[in-house]
Amino acid sequence: MKAFEVLNPGVFTAVQDLGRPGYMKYGTPASGVADRFSAQVANSLVGNPPGAALLEITLFRLELLVLNDSVIAVTGGDLSPTLNGNPLPMWQTFPVNKGNRIAFRMRKQGFRAYLAVQGGLSGKEFLGSRSVFVRGLMGNVLQTGEILESGNPVTQSIVLKKMPQEMVPAFSDKNPLRVILGPQEDRFTPKGIETFLSSEYRVSPQSDRMGYRLQGPTIEHSRGADIISEPIARGAIQVPGDGLPIILLWDGQVSGGYTKIANVISADLDHLAQVMPGDRIHFMAVSLEEAHQALREERGRWGRGQLAMLKMT
Amino acid sequence: MWPNIRPSGDSAILVEFENRIDPEVNRAVRALNLAINSENLPEIKEVVPAYRALMVTYDPLEIEYHDLKGKIKHWMEETRKINLPASRLFRLPTVYGGTYGPDLQRVAEVTHLSPEEVIRLFSETRFMVYFIGFICGLAYLGGLPEILRVSRLATPRTLVPAGSVGLAGGQANAISTDQPSGFNYIGRTFVNLYDPHIFPPVPFLSGDEIQFVPVAEEEASKAKGRPATDFL
Repeated sequence: MKAFEVLNPGVFTAVQDLGRPGYMKYGTPASGVADRFSAQVANSLVGNPPGAALLEITLFRLELLVLNDSVIAVTGGDLSPTLNGNPLPMWQTFPVNKGNRIAFRMRKQGFRAYLAVQGGLSGKEFLGSRSVFVRGLMGNVLQTGEILESGNPVTQSIVLKKMPQEMVPAFSDKNPLRVILGPQEDRFTPKGIETFLSSEYRVSPQSDRMGYRLQGPTIEHSRGADIISEPIARGAIQVPGDGLPIILLWDGQVSGGYTKIANVISADLDHLAQVMPGDRIHFMAVSLEEAHQALREERGRWGRGQLAMLKMT
Repeated sequence: MWPNIRPSGDSAILVEFENRIDPEVNRAVRALNLAINSENLPEIKEVVPAYRALMVTYDPLEIEYHDLKGKIKHWMEETRKINLPASRLFRLPTVYGGTYGPDLQRVAEVTHLSPEEVIRLFSETRFMVYFIGFICGLAYLGGLPEILRVSRLATPRTLVPAGSVGLAGGQANAISTDQPSGFNYIGRTFVNLYDPHIFPPVPFLSGDEIQFVPVAEEEASKAKGRPATDFL
C-alpha cells in the first residue's frame, strides 16, 4: 500500500530496521536503527513487530504527504513534528488521513526521530534487512518525489496507545558515556589515558552514522598509532596519529589499523544516537561486569516500556 | 604471550595471534574461525577473521565473558586437528596501464623497473586473500614481491573506480566499489567484486588466491559485470 510521498527528504532520512548482523566477515557492518529503544517503541505503538522497518529522521526538514489513511507513531528526539502545521504528539499512536502533511520543523532535543507506520515500511531487502547502508550500495536516503510503501498490517483493529511520560527518555542528560578501556589501552601513555577520561570532547560536524569524530585535547600514544588491521566492534573509539578520537558506530568500517583506546558500552549506544554534532561528551571507564549489568538494565527498560504503554481512552 | 584473548568492548572478544602479517599466523586465525563456526552456538553472533586477530561478537546476557573465553581456549586446542579447505585460485582478467593504471609509470620509476617488468612481476604473483574487511568487502591481499614495495600516495585520491588493482606498502588490493584510496593503481578488472543483491556479496574467502591476468582492453571488458566465480 502506498503510505507516503516524500515532499522534502530532509537533512538525512533513511529506512532502518534492526540491521543485518552476521556479515562483518564480508566487510558489511550491521547498520540498523541507531536508537533501538525509540524505534522499537514506535513500532509497538502501531502494532508492528519491534524490528519492523521505519524511518530514521536526522535533524529536520523532512516533509511527507500521507497517501492513504493509516496509523503512525513518532518517537526519539524531539524534532518538532507537525501534522498539517499543528504539533503532532510524540510517543503515542496517531491516526493520519489521506492528504495530511507530516513535517519536522526544528530540533528541540535529541538528534534522531523515528516514524513508524502500521504494517511497517516495505521495500527492498539486502542480506535480510531493509536498513539503508549508503556506502555499501544498500538503498539510499529518501529522495524528493519518492513513494514509500507499507506492508499489510498485522492486525486490522489497532489499539491507540501512549507511552507514559516517565518512560520517555530525556535526551538532555549530561551523564558521561561509559566505556570499557581497550583493546589497545597499553598503546597509550598514562597521561594519554588520563586526557581521554578527564577531558570534554565536542562532536565534530564530520560525524554521521559511520562514526563520530571528536574535537578536544589530543591523546598521547606510547608507541605510534598504527596496528596491523583487525576487526572493529561497534562503539570502538580509535585514536589515529593526530590524537583525536573517533567513535565507530552503526555503519562503521568493520576493520581498521588504528589503536583503539576504549569501547562505548552497549547500554549507552542509544544515548549516543541522540547526541548531535556540536554537543559535548565525556567518558567514564567501567568494568566489563558493570557494562553487562548496564545492558541488563537497558534491556529491562525496553521490557518495562512494553508493559507501560497505556491504552488511550 | 600469544595467543592472547581479551575483551573488545562489552559484546566482543578479540583473539590475537603473533603480531605479524604472515600466511602461517593467518592459518591459525582461519582454523579457529572454522572451529568456532562449526560449533554454531546461538550465543555467538559474528566471527570475524583478520590478518592475525579474530573477533567473536556475543550477547553477554546469553553467555558470560569468562565462559566464552574458556570455550575459545578449548576450541583453539581443537584447531590442531582441523584441515583447512583447499584454497581456490581466481584468475581475473586485468588491463594494465594507460587510463586504467594511472600509477603504473610512477611505480616503475620508484622501483627502477620498466612498466612491462612491473606488470610481469605483479601478474605472476598468486596473491593470498588474508581476509575481507574495511567496507563493502575489500579483500586484503598478501604476497606482493618485495621489489614492488611502494609507499602510499601522499594525498589519497578522493575517488578510485571499482575494480582498480593496486599496491602500497607491501600490500595489494582490488577496490570493490568506487571509494577513496591512497594505493598506487596500475590496472583495472571489470569483474564484479561486490554485489549487495546476492549472497554472499563478496566472492572471495580468506585463504583464496587471486591472480590479475594481463589482457587487452577488449577482452577485459567482456568480463564486465560477470561474477568472479566465473574465473576460477
